[in-house]
Amino acid sequence: MEEEKGLTEIKLKVRSVKRERERKYRDYPAVVDKSTAAHDFWEPIVHLGLWDIKGHQIVKGPWGGGTVEQAKKRAPKEFMVIDRASFALYSHSYGLVSPFFRGLLEGKLMGTKCPKCGTVYCPPRAHCWNPQCKVADCFDNWVDLPSAGIIHTFTVQCLAAAPFEHMLPFSMGWVQVDGADTTLSMLLHIRPKELFIGKKVNIEFMPKESRKGDLMDLYAVAAIQDEKPPEWACLQKDPKEMESVENSTKATLEFIKNRYGIDNSPETRGW
Amino acid sequence: MPKPNRRVAICGGGIFRPDLWHGENAEEGVATAYQDLLRQCPNLEPDDIDAVMMSYFSDHLNQQLCMGWIIQDYLGLHNKPGYRVESGGSTPLDALINAYYLIQSGFFDVILIPGWEWMCEVDVASTNEMIASAADTDWDFPVGGYYNAYYAAMEVRHMQLYGETCEDLGRIAVKNHNNSTHIPFSQWLSQHGTAPITLEDYWKSRLVCWPYRVLNNAVMSEGACCILMAAEEKVNRFTDTPMWITGVGLGTDSMRPGDRTVDFVYAGFKDEAKIYPDFVKIPKTPYPDMANFASLHVAAKRAYAQAGITNPLKEIDLMELFTPYDGVELCLYEDLGLCGRGEGKYMIREGIVEYGGECPVLLSGGLTSTGHPVGATTLYYTTFLYWQLAGKVKEMCGPDGLQVPNAKRALITGHGGTGCQGGVIIFERD
Repeated sequence: MEEEKGLTEIKLKVRSVKRERERKYRDYPAVVDKSTAAHDFWEPIVHLGLWDIKGHQIVKGPWGGGTVEQAKKRAPKEFMVIDRASFALYSHSYGLVSPFFRGLLEGKLMGTKCPKCGTVYCPPRAHCWNPQCKVADCFDNWVDLPSAGIIHTFTVQCLAAAPFEHMLPFSMGWVQVDGADTTLSMLLHIRPKELFIGKKVNIEFMPKESRKGDLMDLYAVAAIQDEKPPEWACLQKDPKEMESVENSTKATLEFIKNRYGIDNSPETRGW
Repeated sequence: MPKPNRRVAICGGGIFRPDLWHGENAEEGVATAYQDLLRQCPNLEPDDIDAVMMSYFSDHLNQQLCMGWIIQDYLGLHNKPGYRVESGGSTPLDALINAYYLIQSGFFDVILIPGWEWMCEVDVASTNEMIASAADTDWDFPVGGYYNAYYAAMEVRHMQLYGETCEDLGRIAVKNHNNSTHIPFSQWLSQHGTAPITLEDYWKSRLVCWPYRVLNNAVMSEGACCILMAAEEKVNRFTDTPMWITGVGLGTDSMRPGDRTVDFVYAGFKDEAKIYPDFVKIPKTPYPDMANFASLHVAAKRAYAQAGITNPLKEIDLMELFTPYDGVELCLYEDLGLCGRGEGKYMIREGIVEYGGECPVLLSGGLTSTGHPVGATTLYYTTFLYWQLAGKVKEMCGPDGLQVPNAKRALITGHGGTGCQGGVIIFERD
């Protein structure tokens, strides 16, 4: 068994923002306020590290339907069980598609292929959802996929849910991995001025030691350096729109710097 | 198409208005809405109520499981059959349809539908996180995702395919916010007053997830609403102006929008799959992909079939669409068959969906302005439609109320997840 390494948590300097509460209780000033200190302390803490994978186990277990006896007769399967913090530490099984996430740890991208209809799933499905195939087993039919694909759609985020706020601004989108029929959501390490639907991307992996076994282990980068978006590209078509996106991302960078002490500018993080 | 056994009507709605924050907690808010309903329907006695159908979507926003039990007990209705219906954003619409099915079944004659949500106990980023756990937490959430981002990306695809612009989204935002100023129960009005906004204000509002700005996104709210639904035999006891339910339809779609590139169950849209507007050069994709909403498309078809509607634009007087993001409204014009695929932008550009237009959409202002306490949302907008069909808008909203003259038939939608769940109800007056 692989030796367990110590936990490394991101330590962030965080400044609280009071704006929200002031907006809520806007009609009258507070009569008694014995809560600001608690908010200053707790609000930033609960924003940090949630949904982040803290560890994982690979465990063996019986699988499949039928009776207990029938299940125990089958050769057991290995399941990846991740520890993800959110209100409590959940130990959540990735189920029969665990090999996909173990593949991520190895820097490999895989999909499942339905033996009946031939659909290639990435994200993988353990059972085919084509009604004709009547949830046929796909979980023993893995295919290796190339680390390349096409942007199916995207957005540029200047606001995010709590666990990801410190990473702003960033872009997420769905990428159709070459050879797959479905599309996989992922972060796009591509500047807004280069983002368009149909863009060819390469999929890269985080350094091996920081991979944790979720989709944050990978991200898309432009396949063609300094590619100019085509004239029909909806974001760049209107220069006014592009300018407003750039101004907004700049303002967001400033906010994150103030709140978390993190510099997410393209110059420092490279995208 | 099953044949309905009897007629079922909405007999009234009681409101505890949506706002960013209420000092009252959820049960007190629901009681306030129930009081309002009792005022609207003075003959309503608690003994008349056969069952309670509760509508709320979140357990974690208030750290309370089974809040429905608190509500039923608080209203003194805990001797009645009752349970909760939950399906994300579609929760209140599905509660209405569920109550309709139960009355149709003959088991119950009169059902109370209380809906509520108290969404502002945690900060906005955390509320977004909790709501985002309705997305696939293995596959769509961990990449920095949440609903604003998913819907933004879906709208980007629609925009690329069909050529609407950010200005079209702005026009929808301006229409809805300005409609909202005519609703005296509106959260927008509470926060910003009645001054109308312009496209200039829209451009100034902060970018959230491109192409959506603050004014394109649903607000966070606290609020409650109670709807009374009854079978035809009982209707006259409660109201002189019943709003009959003449068509209902439910639909669902894949959990992950990313899977809609091979949506086998919607392979039946063969005729529509071939439709491409001339101006679409690249990329091409079969309908609905992740650009339109198949769940709403099939829900509408089912509801239209039951209500005997063949030309919704001509035959429906006004609509209240569940649009947490303005692109959804634009897409729904198409999915509900008000216009052809890719033509949604003309509906707003040509004023067809404005007050005074052929089919006004969201005279209430809707989720982005008037309020969106999830479990109560569609119940509010059903109540507003009830006022429209009863001709009571001026009475309830004052002289500035936007009454559609002689409104006879209306439509409302529900919408959950990324269009994972959708529903449509057609309402008519006598």
